[in-house]
Amino acid sequence: MRLLLASVLLAATALPSFAADGKLVLYTSQPNTDAQQTVDAFKAANPGVEVEWVRDGTPKILAKLRAEIEAGQPQPDLLLIADVVTMEGLEQEGRLMAYPEAKVEGIDPALIDKDKTYFSTKLITTGIVYNTNAPMKPTSWADLTKPEAKGQVVMPSPLTSGAAMIHTVTLTNNLSEGWDFYSALAENGAQASGGNGDVLKAVSGGDKLYGMIVDFMPMREKAKGAPVEFVFPSEGVSAVTEPVAILSTAKNPDAAKAFVDFVLSEEGQKLAVSQGYIPVREDAGLPAGYPERSTIKVLNYDAAEALKNDMANKEKFTDVMAQ
Amino acid sequence: MRPRPGAVLGRVWGDWTPVILVLLLIGILSILPMARLLLTALAPGGALDLSGFFERLTSSSTQRATWHTLDTAFLGAVVAMAIGGPFAVAIAMTDLPGRKPLGFLILLPLMIAPQVTALSWLHLFGPSSTLLGMFGLAPPPGTPNPVLGRNGIILLYGVQHAPIVFVTLRAGLSRIPGDLVEAARASGSTQLRTLLTIVLPLMRPYLIAAAALAFVSGVGNFGIPALLGMPVNYLTLPTLIYQRMSSFGPGVLPQMASLSVLIAALALTGVALQGLAMRDGGARYAGGKPAFFELGSWRIGLAAFAWAVIAAILVLPTLALLTTAFVPAFGVPLTLETATLGNFAEVLTRQASTIRAFRNSILLSGSAAMLLALGVVPVALVLQRFSRRRQRLLQGAIDLPYAVPGIVLAIACILLFLRPLPVIGSLYATAAIILVAYLMRFFTLAMKPVTTAVNQIPADLTEAAASAGAGPLRRLVTIVVPMVAPAAFAGALLVFMSAFNELTVSALLWSSGNETLGVVLFSLEEAGLGTQAAAIAVASIAVVVAMLAVLDRFSAKLPGGVLPWR
Repeated sequence: MRLLLASVLLAATALPSFAADGKLVLYTSQPNTDAQQTVDAFKAANPGVEVEWVRDGTPKILAKLRAEIEAGQPQPDLLLIADVVTMEGLEQEGRLMAYPEAKVEGIDPALIDKDKTYFSTKLITTGIVYNTNAPMKPTSWADLTKPEAKGQVVMPSPLTSGAAMIHTVTLTNNLSEGWDFYSALAENGAQASGGNGDVLKAVSGGDKLYGMIVDFMPMREKAKGAPVEFVFPSEGVSAVTEPVAILSTAKNPDAAKAFVDFVLSEEGQKLAVSQGYIPVREDAGLPAGYPERSTIKVLNYDAAEALKNDMANKEKFTDVMAQ
Repeated sequence: MRPRPGAVLGRVWGDWTPVILVLLLIGILSILPMARLLLTALAPGGALDLSGFFERLTSSSTQRATWHTLDTAFLGAVVAMAIGGPFAVAIAMTDLPGRKPLGFLILLPLMIAPQVTALSWLHLFGPSSTLLGMFGLAPPPGTPNPVLGRNGIILLYGVQHAPIVFVTLRAGLSRIPGDLVEAARASGSTQLRTLLTIVLPLMRPYLIAAAALAFVSGVGNFGIPALLGMPVNYLTLPTLIYQRMSSFGPGVLPQMASLSVLIAALALTGVALQGLAMRDGGARYAGGKPAFFELGSWRIGLAAFAWAVIAAILVLPTLALLTTAFVPAFGVPLTLETATLGNFAEVLTRQASTIRAFRNSILLSGSAAMLLALGVVPVALVLQRFSRRRQRLLQGAIDLPYAVPGIVLAIACILLFLRPLPVIGSLYATAAIILVAYLMRFFTLAMKPVTTAVNQIPADLTEAAASAGAGPLRRLVTIVVPMVAPAAFAGALLVFMSAFNELTVSALLWSSGNETLGVVLFSLEEAGLGTQAAAIAVASIAVVVAMLAVLDRFSAKLPGGVLPWR
């Protein structure tokens, strides 16, 4: 009997506990093509794992998750969404699983949550995109309120995009005009709707000439030949860090941990660079078309404050932009 | 009294069991979701709260969306009448050359998903139009796309719902007795005058019904305002519900239930109007040779005009969609060097979610079609045993989930199945919730052809079989089933096509692994990958055209009136 028990124990420990397998469900706000590439690269490194992913804007992914939580069956193991504020909220509700052993060496500690529940994977700034046929070359946020841009500005809505929420909070905190900047935009006929993808479509298609947008989209489309140009405005840019986190209800935590390690690894970070993102690991380099990291002026914002006022900010935004 | 074919079931299962089962089925699929919705809208906390209900309906965004809905649906119906009306007259009662193909082509917009129609028109106009760009006709950058917003929505409601007007009016026109027209002509009235003073007044019930149906379809449409209105913040009630629900989650369910009741009421008012107009339309005059007009020297000119209209509403948008599907990125001109199959490769072979969506849509629509085709035969047989009045009432209940906008049914399903239920648990975030919603919504589509077929089975046949000694089950299998099988098959194909094209229901019900084709198209478009969305749209049009070809092949075996273009 004792022999049997011992052999069972031995067999159990002999199983390679680190090799992740099974099914993994990922909810992400990455554009579809990027999500598929990230998943493909992860699967190549972890052949045993099947990944099923869902993409939508961060607020919408969250709304879906909340409905599933209410139904008693949260589906995802993992979240890879735009901003840390949303993650902070989930952490406070106890929805995230800590992963203290995550392989974070080489990453700026300032970018890592102290409880190790979520991990920044990139730096995504929001600046200005313009159609290269446009008469004006904007260089600052203030340019978007000029008469030349009347009726030609488009921006993502915080109801759809997590990056747009952070962007709104950052600009209203940092620009001396505060919310008046958005009132001026609204008066100038600026339109806020949909996500960053809609902005890209409108500006590269020429429906609008100027837009607020995350950096990698126009950088990438420009490389493909689309008539767009990205600008880091002189006042500075807002930034999100696209954190990844494991849910406390994850059905496959081992595979989820492997995914977290993968996106933070050198290989995962190089993939992000090839997709046109600024990586969190400085040793992974920079994608073509970006200026040196030190020359990008990132504006600060108060995450705790942003979390507390999330709903009020959304309402204020829809109010000002007359949505 | 002659035994009706349905009576055979009674003898197999006893008299009451089938009746109770059928009533239960109709109760669960048709009445339960609507009742649940009303309950949450009117009494969210369990107690009746009418002031809360009205308060939720008077917010400024709701009022604006209500006005947008009424405005676009009404003017859209006007446009649909302007397109569908002349086509109905030309095809039902004139010697216009090429009537048959024209009659088929004018129906196509109805078979194509609204979101696909909207996408193709988006690519037809605007500075980014690949098609216009090829001819140097694209407007300069900075010009807003003219189909975005109110005018585009009205135009596309008109195009999308012109077939409904066409089918309804053609049915009426074919019943107008030729004698009346001949009498008028013999007394010296011109053809145009005869049309206006004899035909038009007789057509009044059909005109009202056609306009009401087009209006109702506009009220409930989601694909068109989602693609043309949401990007410029022009929200109708269905898109307002979608936007709030998808951005705020289950916390706003009571508000959404109230809004749902509001659009359901708008839609059902239209349906009631249509029912009222048609109540005794057509029964008053004798048949005979249908009325007919000769176009004379106008024939060729009018035919050319009709083909030009078809080209404008069907061919050009499809070309625009095709050209967009072949460029690598939005705004890149299409030339021999830039043309690529990359978008098709991406959505058909590379992206797991789009491949899955094709599979899911085929599986979900296929299962719904099969379950309904098998299920409606016994239901139709049992319904025959009810009195006329009760049959109409039950048919009305079955129509309900189809008559209300799809988004309303989606909200009702979330309310029903979000919280875990005993035995089945929560259906939310499973494929089952979409399947159940499809069964509810398309029940009536499968039911109509089968009911027609069952009513046409002559009682003599079953009587003869009975006197020859065939038992009830044998009569069911050897007489009834073979006679209704073609109708059940046609119903199944109609269900399949509708479910395969739909976005409205699954937009709120999909979950990871259970995406439908409509959902991925919408999501790609929202993610800025318009060229890939175009590739999906092209692929889905190909599937629909293939289905139509199968259905048409099969048409000789079907009872009349099942296929709208026959």
